[in-house]
Amino acid sequence: MRIQRRLDTPRWLVVAVPAASLVAAIAATAIVLLAAGKDPIATYARLFDRAFIEPGSLSNTMITATPLLLTGLAAAAAFRMRLWNIGAEGQLYLGAVGASGAGLLLRDQPGPVIIAGMILGGLLFGAGWAVIPGLLKAFFNTNEIITTLMLNYVAGLLLTYLIFGSRSFWRDLSTFSARAFPQGKPLPAAAMWPSLDLSVVVLPFGFVLGVLAAALLWWLYRSTIFGLQARILGDSPPAARYAGVKTRRVVVTMMALSGALAGLGGASEVGDFRHVLDPRGLQQAGLGYAGIVVAALGRYNPFSVVLVAFLLGGLANAGYSLQGPGFPAGLVGVLQGMILFFALGGELLIHYRISLPVPFGERGLSRQ
Amino acid sequence: MTVNDSIVVVLIASSIFYGTPLVFASVGELLAERSGVLNLGVEGMMLIGAVTAFWSVQHLGGPTWLVLLLATLIGGAAALATSLIHAVLAVSLRANQIVSGLALTIFAGGAGLSSYIGSVGSLGGQPAKHEFTAINLFGLSGVPVLGPIVFHQNALVYASWALVILTLAYLYRTRTGLHLRAVGESPQTADVMGVNVARYRYAHTLAGGLLAGVAGAYYSLAITPNWIDGMTSGAGWIAIALVIFAFWRPELTLAGAYLFGLFSSLGFVLQAHQVPLPPELFGSLPYVMTVAVLVIVSTGWARQRLGAPASLGVPYVREER
Amino acid sequence: MRSITKRFPGVLANDAVDFEARRGEVHALLGENGAGKSTLASILTGLYRPDSGEIAIDGKTVEFHSPRDATEAGVSMVHQHFRLAASLTVADNIVLGYRGTPWLRTNPGTIEAQVAELAKRYRMPVRPDARVWQLSVGEQQRVEILKALYRGARILILDEPTSLLTPQEANDLFETLRTMTAEGRTIVFVSHKLDELMAVSDRVTVLRGGKLTGTVNTRDTDQHALARMMIGREVVFTHAKEGHETTRETALELKDVSARDDLGLQVLHNVSLTVHHGEIVGVAGVAGNGQRQLAEAISGARPRMSGDVLVKKRRLRSGDPEHAVVNGVAHIPEDRMDTGVSPSLSIAENLVLKSHRRPPISTHGVLRHDRIMRNARELITRFAIAAPGPDTPARLLSGGNVQKVVLARELSSSPEVIVAANPTRGLDVGATEAVRGLLLEAAGRGVGILLISEDLDEILLLADRIAVIYEGRIVGVVPGSTADVQQLGLMMAGASA
Repeated sequence: MRIQRRLDTPRWLVVAVPAASLVAAIAATAIVLLAAGKDPIATYARLFDRAFIEPGSLSNTMITATPLLLTGLAAAAAFRMRLWNIGAEGQLYLGAVGASGAGLLLRDQPGPVIIAGMILGGLLFGAGWAVIPGLLKAFFNTNEIITTLMLNYVAGLLLTYLIFGSRSFWRDLSTFSARAFPQGKPLPAAAMWPSLDLSVVVLPFGFVLGVLAAALLWWLYRSTIFGLQARILGDSPPAARYAGVKTRRVVVTMMALSGALAGLGGASEVGDFRHVLDPRGLQQAGLGYAGIVVAALGRYNPFSVVLVAFLLGGLANAGYSLQGPGFPAGLVGVLQGMILFFALGGELLIHYRISLPVPFGERGLSRQ
Repeated sequence: MTVNDSIVVVLIASSIFYGTPLVFASVGELLAERSGVLNLGVEGMMLIGAVTAFWSVQHLGGPTWLVLLLATLIGGAAALATSLIHAVLAVSLRANQIVSGLALTIFAGGAGLSSYIGSVGSLGGQPAKHEFTAINLFGLSGVPVLGPIVFHQNALVYASWALVILTLAYLYRTRTGLHLRAVGESPQTADVMGVNVARYRYAHTLAGGLLAGVAGAYYSLAITPNWIDGMTSGAGWIAIALVIFAFWRPELTLAGAYLFGLFSSLGFVLQAHQVPLPPELFGSLPYVMTVAVLVIVSTGWARQRLGAPASLGVPYVREER
Repeated sequence: MRSITKRFPGVLANDAVDFEARRGEVHALLGENGAGKSTLASILTGLYRPDSGEIAIDGKTVEFHSPRDATEAGVSMVHQHFRLAASLTVADNIVLGYRGTPWLRTNPGTIEAQVAELAKRYRMPVRPDARVWQLSVGEQQRVEILKALYRGARILILDEPTSLLTPQEANDLFETLRTMTAEGRTIVFVSHKLDELMAVSDRVTVLRGGKLTGTVNTRDTDQHALARMMIGREVVFTHAKEGHETTRETALELKDVSARDDLGLQVLHNVSLTVHHGEIVGVAGVAGNGQRQLAEAISGARPRMSGDVLVKKRRLRSGDPEHAVVNGVAHIPEDRMDTGVSPSLSIAENLVLKSHRRPPISTHGVLRHDRIMRNARELITRFAIAAPGPDTPARLLSGGNVQKVVLARELSSSPEVIVAANPTRGLDVGATEAVRGLLLEAAGRGVGILLISEDLDEILLLADRIAVIYEGRIVGVVPGSTADVQQLGLMMAGASA
């Protein structure tokens, strides 16, 4: 088997391969299900039903898809220039801290002010957390994969500490039961984020923001100096240095942007859905890591990320709501992993051409 | 109160106890990375090892030592099978190794296959039927200071010491070890000199999986003889960090693992002795320290002498023949 | 080697080539870049499989499926770009892949002793326990040769072995080759350097365009005849620049410039140079003496430790490529594919690689796509860049066309100074002539050119004055028309003139 790098990729292949990998992943997971004695077709039917068909399911899917969209964009923004920001998880936590803090501080202000403050809090805290590994990378060339990863854990510990390990501002100390069983201070009613009711589906505010962010990101990469410089840097660092791109500035700015998006995801979790700082819930959800999956499947294109977030949101939504003895939680991860494996494998076909070995005796004619 | 009950001795002994899974996992990842393959799926592989080892212990009959041995091997084998996915993707299909490793963790980890196996097999909520307990080695566990530290650990701890010594000998004193180092530093060179790059990368990625599985088994059979979904709580990521912390040298992973083990147990031991520092602070130390070491390793002087295998994370494509 | 044919996508590299070498002879394989000599050598060493034809060693037909087969048959190759693992020791590198030693190496000293013994026998001193990254280029090449000798190579292929050596190191190499042929070994010497082949070989085989042109005894031929066989026409060996006006005005001035390399070691030591408008100053030297860093220090890609760079009396800010560009410095980098262009970006984007920050290409941080396209179409036409369209990614272009993109971009910015580093390396004859023509034309228009090249012939051909760089210092500056190659060679090797 010969493998040669393709010079040019035919258009149809770029669409066909992800589609084929999706089919392959579904088939492979079906085998896992069969091995566990479950009926794959019934399981898939229930998943699909619960994700998209049942009344109210689309709106529920949107709820799960929103954070995935934002962390997906966060990952896509950074990964597109080969900046491996694995820290969306921690940046999301910090964003939640910032947003809930702002929401509590501004509790006596009118609604729009609180919400604006929460958005700002989410963006700033998320960006700030991402800037740390960004600076380390820019000035010390420290590998961002490990630093962002490590900071995820520090962020998780910080989150836990704020509610379970201390008597901080975020913690609800108003009632006896709240003091005995640690929980976050609930946000005021005015801090609830609005939603867009399109009759067939209800879009959370965070989702709307996400779509706007996707358009902005697309435009940024395509039509701004910063975007061009980011692409040059991601493509060839020596060329970027040669072209006079201020590498450090671009790296730190992109990390900040990526972190801000993840932080916005955290703000949305608080403002759209939880209305309180919930360390356990946030840490269990693994939204930051899931965002990387979304970004990878969307091949780092912001609009594809929207679509993939919607699809994976449906899967996650169905998975969580169906959870129970008949439907173990681990299934979601298995299916997500499978999809990603096949998508990764499919990438090979997009970038390389595979030719089969030439039959014996026909050496003079090498087939491609 | 004897010296063996003193806080220092207890701390050191428990650092070794808690640090041992990190030794297995990080030596495994070290081998994979030495061949040029970055495997971020360690957390997932450890959990697979933990759950399958636990399952084996609950379902196999026989004398304790045999059940534990088999369970550990089964845990290792299951994780090895899982790592095969990453090996195929990273080596043969030249996929992005970061995404592939993460996919592995998502697939196998806390909300994935290991959790699935755990619920399908109803493994939660009951204690293990057999567990690794401390061995009184040569009858010397009562010796002052060294007793609890060296002579009163469980079998896997001793196995980990043997592992480090064997790995050292393997890397620097055997022909295969030399070939491995060459594959990681310069696969083009190794290839031209007749070393099968793909084979070495596969073999060592799978070895990494095996050892990660053993590390996971340690969790469900020694630390908390139970199955809890996601019970490794990020130890896999620490193991990856450890490899860097140890400059890709096996003897340093031992030291690093115990240091990190120290931090895990420090929080609780101090709490037991009424020291009012939040355990989360100590919990964050391994991560912060890793970042600090990473910054040091990244500077120019260190990079050449102490740095990563040059081809780490980069798929190798041989020019066409 | 009988009737060897090898085809790659788009090119017939070897077309029914016959080649034979006798025991104990040095047989040169001559041809231009792309003539097929490297391919033929690679086939002989087992890296490639021929599409048709066969190889026979000592009369017996053999088939090589991998370099290891070739090594076992006694054929070894020393590549132009060394295949060494930088962080391993010399002894490790020599022994790598060899299965004759025991698996468990309880005493690394034995191998090191063997290596030291071998090195002494062939008068190639090198420390077996040194790490390869610590060695000089000449020493690294010795390691490569020792690798072959350790495995008992009877036939040794050397691919452009002197391209990275000083004239003195090259002579040492030839001594070693003579020792080896005296033992009955065969040397295949792949090169495009006519004077070397004349000096060291017994016979020469010439390839042109993938076909065999002929095989001659070295003493029966001369450089002109070989050049004709190689290129197919008479090659002019005289100086190209005639009647050329240079003014006394300074375009570029370097005053005591010092800089560090990527590892923090000082690589440029108080370099001072002047380039006048319309003048071509050549910087000659063996690769690795600071040429790349010199170019980067001038263009701003590398910050300076000390010293000044002035363009038309204006001081350039250290480490600021944008400032250099704005002040009229153009830089043609030696690594055209990864530095000169960003490979995945389109031609149009690459053409604005340096101008994208300023109007008219961008305003207020936003790119103007229409202007970018217009610029691209104009430059593609003016410089005859062969490509499907302005949106084509740069990596799909041939080497010559990539260099045209770089030149188009740099020349269209109306520079005062051009720093050109190895501008024609790896290009075929047509592209080389085009590039040199463009540089001469620019000089004719009054641009000052600093030509940094490892190709001494190119510098002799084009430069008005020649500076020699050795270990980061300028060791001498001589007029181009009266330059003596011996003298230059001595300077390049560090001996003072």
